[in-house]
Amino acid sequence: MLVIKYQKKGDASFISHIDLLKHMGRIIRRADIPMNFSKGFNPHPLLFFSPPMVLGGQSECEYVFLSTEMNSEEAFRRYKGAVPEGLMALEFFDVKKNPNLQAEIEIADYVYPVEYRDIDLSDCVIRYTKKGEEKEENVSSKIFGTFSENGKLCVRMAAGNSPLRPDRIIGKLSEIYNEEISLTEVVKVRQYVKKDGELINVDDFIKEGKF
Amino acid sequence: MQCSMEDYKDKFKKILLQVEKPGRYTGGEWNTPDMNKKRRADFVFCFPEVYEIGMSNLGMQILYSIINKQEGFAAERCFAPWTDMGQKLKENDIPLLSLETKKPLKDFSVVGFSIGYELLYTNVLYMLDLAKIPFRAKDRGEEYPIILAGGPCTANPEPFAPFFDVIIAGEGEEADLEVLKIVADGKEKGLTKTEILKQIKSVKGAYVPALHEKGEVVVKAVIRDFENAESIDKPLVPVIETVHDRAQLELYRGCASGCRFCQAGYWYRPIRERSAEKCFDFAKSMCDSAGFDEISLCSLSTSDYTDLEKLQGYLEPYCHEKMINLSLPSLRISSFKPEMAKDSRKSSLTFAPEAGTQRLRNVINKNVSEEEIDKIAVAFEAGYESIKLYFMMGLPTETDEDIDGIAKICRRLKDLYYEKKHKRGLNISVSCAVFVPKPCSPFQWEAQISFDEMLRRQRYLRDQLRQIKGVNFSWHGAEPSMLEAALARGDQKQADVIENAYAAGAKFDGWSEYFNWDIWKKAFEDSGLDMTTYTGAQDINAELPWDFIDIGATKQYLLKQRELAYSAVTTKNCREGCNGCGALRLGRCTIC
Repeated sequence: MLVIKYQKKGDASFISHIDLLKHMGRIIRRADIPMNFSKGFNPHPLLFFSPPMVLGGQSECEYVFLSTEMNSEEAFRRYKGAVPEGLMALEFFDVKKNPNLQAEIEIADYVYPVEYRDIDLSDCVIRYTKKGEEKEENVSSKIFGTFSENGKLCVRMAAGNSPLRPDRIIGKLSEIYNEEISLTEVVKVRQYVKKDGELINVDDFIKEGKF
Repeated sequence: MQCSMEDYKDKFKKILLQVEKPGRYTGGEWNTPDMNKKRRADFVFCFPEVYEIGMSNLGMQILYSIINKQEGFAAERCFAPWTDMGQKLKENDIPLLSLETKKPLKDFSVVGFSIGYELLYTNVLYMLDLAKIPFRAKDRGEEYPIILAGGPCTANPEPFAPFFDVIIAGEGEEADLEVLKIVADGKEKGLTKTEILKQIKSVKGAYVPALHEKGEVVVKAVIRDFENAESIDKPLVPVIETVHDRAQLELYRGCASGCRFCQAGYWYRPIRERSAEKCFDFAKSMCDSAGFDEISLCSLSTSDYTDLEKLQGYLEPYCHEKMINLSLPSLRISSFKPEMAKDSRKSSLTFAPEAGTQRLRNVINKNVSEEEIDKIAVAFEAGYESIKLYFMMGLPTETDEDIDGIAKICRRLKDLYYEKKHKRGLNISVSCAVFVPKPCSPFQWEAQISFDEMLRRQRYLRDQLRQIKGVNFSWHGAEPSMLEAALARGDQKQADVIENAYAAGAKFDGWSEYFNWDIWKKAFEDSGLDMTTYTGAQDINAELPWDFIDIGATKQYLLKQRELAYSAVTTKNCREGCNGCGALRLGRCTIC
């Protein structure tokens, strides 16, 4: 059984999560990596994804669990030849069971295309429309800090079940920086799970295998 | 100021997040051929519908694949941008761009439209408009590419002829490439557009409206050796879900049934089958290279394919091993066998009796008998609980008794179903189109029923079906059906109508949310034309606008079929012996 860590960049960043499920199944079929299927009337491949990246943003840390008997080395070799650049795999992990990243991931780091400055997001109120309704929300409790990532602004935010969408603070950041920021330049770089109050990078979480 | 291609790419990327489903416009599909190779000339396939629909078009993928396999030539694609994107392009002054390299349409050597349906005509103008290309061929100078049309609507190209430099009547596999080669040679030799068009005129199937003389005949292009013709081995894998998101396997061209209302049944003659071995090779190659988990067998009447059992014998073990679902569309009741449905998902069955009584089915030559309808019981035994039935309303000679027949079929099916003591109820959905007389079919002279009569008959049927529990009824709108009929049998005068309609805001006419009947009524009036002259009965002795296209089947044959229709006499399936339609002149019929 495997976890594939892959990127979602370029054209692929415009693939919706629903469509991505289909794409991943097709990539794995093309790669001829044997998949285990669900039992029942309408069998589907056993693929389990990490929480979706917002449409239009990029990511360097998407994960999918795949139920297969093939080892990571061979599967990685095959995957590479069957995937468009935008969904290239970064790493394959052998695992004993599904780490259930959809439920486990709580936090993610997003890099914005502006120079890092010590900005204040402690009282961050955002406005957005949801289902045609204008909303105003103070999201400070969902922002866990800002720091420099190779000189760029990196924001640590809630992800997973009660996330803060990285596009939702773009308006605020554009105000602070007084420049236009495009979601297409925003990159999710790391995701974390939380164990005993401590952040663990998903890569380490998977490698340790304690799930 | 002229923008470079790179500028457009950047500007274009910026608007992607401002529109619905940006995946429609990114390109980058798996199996996209090499776009960086050196090009002597290039072709952009334009499909006047959105990505999800256009990408499901088998014909375009075949032609695209053929050109891209040729050294020195490249083909790209462009779909009609949805209205939100159309507006953004205009606001940002970005011309319509190809999907692959984001190159403006007017910088291609050939811009080819695939026109499959009359209600797409305004979308052709919509795309030309966005591409900043003048609509009329006569208004386009040397600086514009050759604008070409193909697809089933070329059975009567006259309504849109003034917009095009070249129209390919028939199958484009050979013709498109030939045209592209002539354009490349011509450009290299410095020929003028008129000189190039003169050469294109000699390509089989090519109709060049500007150089066409009265009395000249255009012979439909036909792929003679279908067995060895190119097909899709590496299908493009759509970025977003499409209407037919699966491997589509074309088993044969043409149809042996000879339904008298059916344009496709005559247009795609002669019948040419591909061997089961070849079909299987294509199926495997499509699934292996694309990763599809579903194959559908596509032809006009799939269950009539001679080698169907043999092909299923090849496909079943393969699909079983690879967990691929095999779906069988367009079954004819008379050839339904329970084994066929054995491995496919038992969700819903689709049958098309087309008419409610035996008499009317004889008129239209839909050779489906009452006993055969009873055979659907076999499907109920196999576990089906849902059935879709397709009918047509307003067929020549139809009376209320024929409409009663539709309700009778529904009741009969319910009885058959409950004989098998099913726990759950049977779902029947009845879908009823309005008959649209189409060129190149034996009913090309027939009148369409009047608008008021359409409404009356729809109400009549609805009231009948309401009394039967478990029946769902859906029908085609009367307005678009009437427009479709008017445009289908139009002449060159209608180019004004189409232009007027587009100017008044008509586009995406096939989408009920955009269809605007008032615009079209006014567009006909403003052009001084009466829609009913086109939807009414046509004189069998008069020359029809599309008579100059030789489709294989002769006008005499169509007339004879029409006479037989009025005496409710059927014509045998071509598989039982040749009926002598005349299509053999254009190529060998492989079932003869």
